[in-house]
Amino acid sequence: MDNLFIALFEILSFGAIVVLVVLGLGIIASMMGIFNFAQGEFVLLGAYVTYVAHRIGLPVAVGMVAAPFAVGALGFVLERLVVRRFYAAPIVAMLGTYALGLIIRESVRGLIGGLYISIPEPIGGSLNLGTLHFSMWRFVIVVITALVMAGSYVLLARTSFGLRIRASLENPALARASGISTDRIYSVTFAFGAALAGLAGALIVPVFSLFADLGIRFLIQGFVAVMVGGVGSFAGPVAGAGVIGTLSAALPWVMSPVVADVLVFVLAITFIKFRPQGLVSGRGI
Amino acid sequence: MTEALPSVALAAPGGRRMALPVIEAAVLAILALAPLVLQDYLTVYATRVLILCLFALSFDLVWGYAGIMSFGQSLFFGSAGYGVALIARDLDIASIAVVIPAGVLIGFVGAMLLGGFLLLGRHPSSVIFVSLGTMTGAYAADRLARGWYYLGGQNGIPSIQSMNIGTYELSEGPVFYYLALAILVAVYMLCRFLVRSQFGLALAGLRENEQRIAFFGYKVQHLKAIIFTLSGAIAGLAGSLYAFHEGFVWPNMLGVVMSTQVVLYVLFGGAGTLIGAVIGTVVIEAVSFWLSNSYQDIWPIILGVLLLLVIMFRPAGLVSLVLSERERVGSFGRPGRGGGDGTA
Repeated sequence: MDNLFIALFEILSFGAIVVLVVLGLGIIASMMGIFNFAQGEFVLLGAYVTYVAHRIGLPVAVGMVAAPFAVGALGFVLERLVVRRFYAAPIVAMLGTYALGLIIRESVRGLIGGLYISIPEPIGGSLNLGTLHFSMWRFVIVVITALVMAGSYVLLARTSFGLRIRASLENPALARASGISTDRIYSVTFAFGAALAGLAGALIVPVFSLFADLGIRFLIQGFVAVMVGGVGSFAGPVAGAGVIGTLSAALPWVMSPVVADVLVFVLAITFIKFRPQGLVSGRGI
Repeated sequence: MTEALPSVALAAPGGRRMALPVIEAAVLAILALAPLVLQDYLTVYATRVLILCLFALSFDLVWGYAGIMSFGQSLFFGSAGYGVALIARDLDIASIAVVIPAGVLIGFVGAMLLGGFLLLGRHPSSVIFVSLGTMTGAYAADRLARGWYYLGGQNGIPSIQSMNIGTYELSEGPVFYYLALAILVAVYMLCRFLVRSQFGLALAGLRENEQRIAFFGYKVQHLKAIIFTLSGAIAGLAGSLYAFHEGFVWPNMLGVVMSTQVVLYVLFGGAGTLIGAVIGTVVIEAVSFWLSNSYQDIWPIILGVLLLLVIMFRPAGLVSLVLSERERVGSFGRPGRGGGDGTA
């Protein structure tokens, strides 16, 4: 019975990690219609900022707070300089962001070398419930994910800023005619997506440790999750992330981790093949 | 666009009409003469570049001609490499008459299965789905190879025996170089014939405007699956040569790293022209050889920046510096006018 609870907690916490990574990707893909292949590297960058803060002697938590702002700011600049040229051509956007990701990944690789750097958890210890012990940090990740998810939802669905984002998505021409600067909206949305990825990277780095190819894995996982969930809505990517995260965490309990990892992707691709619209096929919030 | 007005464009006299054959001949001459001036260890390096050119051609066919974004081309390259390495290790067969066809077959079957699954079916597949599916395939294969003891795990399969032709042992050096060159030229001519046939015209149409080609009555998905399978076979050919040339195979050959590499070659050189793929590979590999001693750490970053600049400002790649857009796209068919079709 205890093992079951521990397994459930593992699954929940890993699902939360995937949701966190996917949220930014999903928002950019759904709200802007481009697939950002640099998103995995934004995650990496968030992890890297945390590492830098740790190395210069600041508490890890400070790095984690700084990471989303740093990555968000970079996302804003990149959108202004590069990504905005690609809105007319989604395929070129894919290649362009892929190149951006390559630059970031190789820069980080140049800075840290081929090492795996471990970073301590800012809140260590374990959470004890009776005879059960849970990792405190993973519990914190679950809580933060829930907060971020709720916050993003409220931002997009309940505020006038969210309304403007959705308007720019639905009908850019009409949005511009109504006095909304779609240019600025796109920049901010992209920066927001990047910031979420940065936050995700900062929070998960104690769990996964920092290495240059950290992003690739999450990129593929994130994309698969977005497509399983369905592009175009808020609920879609979150649902997809939940499914992929749960499977990724649950399957290794019954088979070898490598096979489980591959099997999740195969199942997901097969699912998308036969249901291209994903779990949640609607648009909007 | 010039292809919208074929008769006008064909009638226009152009001094640069013949640029493509000239470039092709020049590249061939350089490649044919290279071993005469290069030192031995450079010839070995150049052989590897030729094999990578072959690999780049396979990606150029799917992306440059049919508009299928395959981030998983290395899957066929690597699995053919692993396949022939296993044949050499476990069956002790390294005859060129066996291993090269085996590599081609592995690439062909692999691409047929993956391409059939991703591209065919009731719902037409979106570009993003195909690119994600191929990328996932490569990633998954990489993971499996790393974790599978039979395939050597992280280390791959070291010290594969040399390929042999009859009783002659083919080791790296000028002979291997010219063999690779001969294969590259043969495959290049085959591809050239293919992309300038009616089939190639339909493919180019697919890349430019898929819906219109569908309205013309072509079975778009079948065309895509065919070219994908074919390119898989070429990647398999390249992979088996690569395995024997390097003498070992390792998981990176299967994974996203190698796929990224081939995307770089082709986009840099110029997707949509066969010679662009070759030029891109040669230029990138040559420069990386030069820089790898002194600037090893920042070279990948420079590559990324170059790629980004090319995508932003020169989407047609290096080749477009000397090749006109009209010639790059190519002219097709036989309009029956005097001198109307010099380049096709």
